[in-house]
Amino acid sequence: MTGLLTLDAVRFGYDPERPVLEDISFAVQHGEVVAVVGRNGAGKSTMLRLLNGLLRPDAGRLTIAGRDSADLKVSEIAAHIGTVFQAPEQQIFNATVRSEIGFGPAQQGLAPREQAARIDEAVARTGLEGVLDTHPLDLDAAMRRFVAVASVIACRPDLMLLDEAQRGLDATRRATLGGIIADWKASGRAIVLVCHDMDFVAAHADRVLGLAAGRLAVDAPVRDFFADAAATRAVSVEQPGIVALAQALGQPVALSASELVTGLAPRLKGGA
Amino acid sequence: MAVARPQGADHALLYVPGRSFLHRLNPLTKLTLVLWCAVAAFALPPEGTIPLALLSILIGSFAGAGRVFARRLALTLLPLSVALFVVHGMLVDHAGARASLLGLDLSREGLAYMVRILGRIAALLSGSLLFVCTTHPSRLLKALDAHRFSPGAAYVIASPLLLLEPFTQRAKAIREAQMARGLDLEGSFMTRVKAFPALLMPLVTLALADIDHRAQVLDGRGFRAMPHRTVLDAPADSRQQRAVRWAVLVSIPVLIAGGVLWHL
Amino acid sequence: MALINVSGLSFAYESTPVLQNVNLSVAPGEKLAILGGNGSGKSTLAQWIAGWLPRGSYAANAGEVTVEGQPWAELDAATRAGAVQFVGQVPMQQLSGFSFTVRDEIAFGPGNLALPEAKIRARVDAAVEICNLGHLLDRDPFSLSGGEQQRLSIAAALAMQPRALVLDEPTGNFDPESREALLAQLEKLPGALAIVWCDVTLGAPLSVAERVLLLDGGRIAYDGDVAGLLTHPRTAEIFGLPAVAQTALMLRERGLWPAEAPISMDVGRVASALRPMLESAR
Repeated sequence: MTGLLTLDAVRFGYDPERPVLEDISFAVQHGEVVAVVGRNGAGKSTMLRLLNGLLRPDAGRLTIAGRDSADLKVSEIAAHIGTVFQAPEQQIFNATVRSEIGFGPAQQGLAPREQAARIDEAVARTGLEGVLDTHPLDLDAAMRRFVAVASVIACRPDLMLLDEAQRGLDATRRATLGGIIADWKASGRAIVLVCHDMDFVAAHADRVLGLAAGRLAVDAPVRDFFADAAATRAVSVEQPGIVALAQALGQPVALSASELVTGLAPRLKGGA
Repeated sequence: MAVARPQGADHALLYVPGRSFLHRLNPLTKLTLVLWCAVAAFALPPEGTIPLALLSILIGSFAGAGRVFARRLALTLLPLSVALFVVHGMLVDHAGARASLLGLDLSREGLAYMVRILGRIAALLSGSLLFVCTTHPSRLLKALDAHRFSPGAAYVIASPLLLLEPFTQRAKAIREAQMARGLDLEGSFMTRVKAFPALLMPLVTLALADIDHRAQVLDGRGFRAMPHRTVLDAPADSRQQRAVRWAVLVSIPVLIAGGVLWHL
Repeated sequence: MALINVSGLSFAYESTPVLQNVNLSVAPGEKLAILGGNGSGKSTLAQWIAGWLPRGSYAANAGEVTVEGQPWAELDAATRAGAVQFVGQVPMQQLSGFSFTVRDEIAFGPGNLALPEAKIRARVDAAVEICNLGHLLDRDPFSLSGGEQQRLSIAAALAMQPRALVLDEPTGNFDPESREALLAQLEKLPGALAIVWCDVTLGAPLSVAERVLLLDGGRIAYDGDVAGLLTHPRTAEIFGLPAVAQTALMLRERGLWPAEAPISMDVGRVASALRPMLESAR
């Protein structure tokens, strides 16, 4: 089965003698949210840079929208895959938020009316209406992250890569990001999250790819992954608190408070 | 005492790790010797500069920096020799005697001029290489601090070398970020020229923000709170080295006077 | 006397108010968390407490910050450096840019105070021990990972022997292992050192703090213990309650939570509060 993005026995090493990633095979389908997890140094950042073409496999094949990535320039891959990096200030260079978001659509050579429509849509989703004429670097770190997200939305790639995009966001902003992920998925596009925050993974991902020592140690639906203590240990991540609480109380895996309460209430004194 | 060998960012430097006599010499002693070489390069005739350059190269090879010397000297001197040979030996119409070599009609005075210039540059370059190949910037910085130079002045001398690594890292990160958002840096020359502002703007903006932030960090760590600093593992110094430094410094005016007299 | 005292502090960037009439004091050795959402002003307040802004081109619109009774501006550079140390969010930016090795980076601050070499060595050794940097002493600071750089910045701050350490989102870059390692290091700090930990999440800072301050729109909305923060009406809106605490609250709304048990975000505590009810239900 061909996916939006397919990796087949991919190997990569900065020093080819010592691979950082080895024998990596998976596919990402339309409408899927996939989380890449693992400890620092497990190869997550390398994986991300292979997906957006900044690095190329030493062996194996990486296919994007049916084409071998070896035949595509990074700028061509960017039309299919948009990346929100950890440090947005490294990609921001326009003088206003509006021109920063409009940079991608302009590069794509879209008609001015279409460009304006893209900007409006991206701004509405990210809640940046009030700061369109502000210099992006005058915004706080969380708002700058959303400028980077809006820049990707405006380009409408098939796949969005989010590198720790939830980090440092408060509840309101996390909800905004969660809404963007849900909309993106609903429109049939895909998301790959690189993420340390297991609560965020539990709440938003469909599937987990776990890396350990450069190999794909886990590829499982999110619920199965968290239910399996051996799997979380294998990739050195902690179970979300809610999963640990459910297990401590002898309940099946729950990914949200309401799910656990629904399951638990009949067992509690006075709850039946 | 072992010479500190920091790991990591050394690829940007010409420093060649080692434990030779020259490595162990106090950086300030070496600095005065470089100064002497620089003056000598201009004051001495080719009969002096060429042996001086050869001596530096010999010492450099003993200190384990032969390859760096060969490479740097070749890169500088070979193109220069060719240019000087063609311009002064063949093209410029010098008066006086002519020489003939392999059927070429050459000006003797032009050739002498070429040798003089090459001798100077070789002496200057090999003297400086001797210093940079055997002195890690951290040792220079520590020697300056240990001799109670003002911290601000020491920082101005050392910071370009110190901040090279983070600057390089950031430039690479910006390049990658812009490529991943569709900026074509693999296309024709013109597309790359057009992409240039997208690389330069974040680099400059972030560098300015860094300067501001670093000033606060330095202040928070008491930088310039006192007129001088204490350093750990300051390069060893000795009465003999101090004597050598004074002798070298005193000999510089003599050298200059000698040079002037020679040319009269 | 309070170590740090902030009284009636108001501050604006250009025309945007960031802090409004903030009053707080930090006692010697106190472990305080300042929590708030994005744009609540906590990073700005952290910098004021650490004495950063008053020395720059900014001035308070009203109020002042004093250290042991003296305003920041009246302290000389050496006293300021020995009073409060600040460790910011971006690890690479905390480095002096003056050192080629980890050892020299830690020795940089004490060296600036022109202390005798033996004293500097003792301070470096102590900081290296707490922050577990012994195997990295000869590495170039800029070649370290983000987590290692953060540990180095904390070690460099500790070598100044400050009376307060201000941390701005110190675990933001960390995976769980590095976070646990940092928390373990903070436990090794001398008890007399005050810690002010500013963050946007409830997790790690609350495992260190004895007292919590909630900053909301540049004002202090809450000042008290951790349990009180978890039931504060704004807490859930700003931070999103951790699902464990949310479970406890939902059960309490349904009358299924033991009346005497405090609401907690700790899995162990919530589980042990609920277990007796489960068993008696069987």
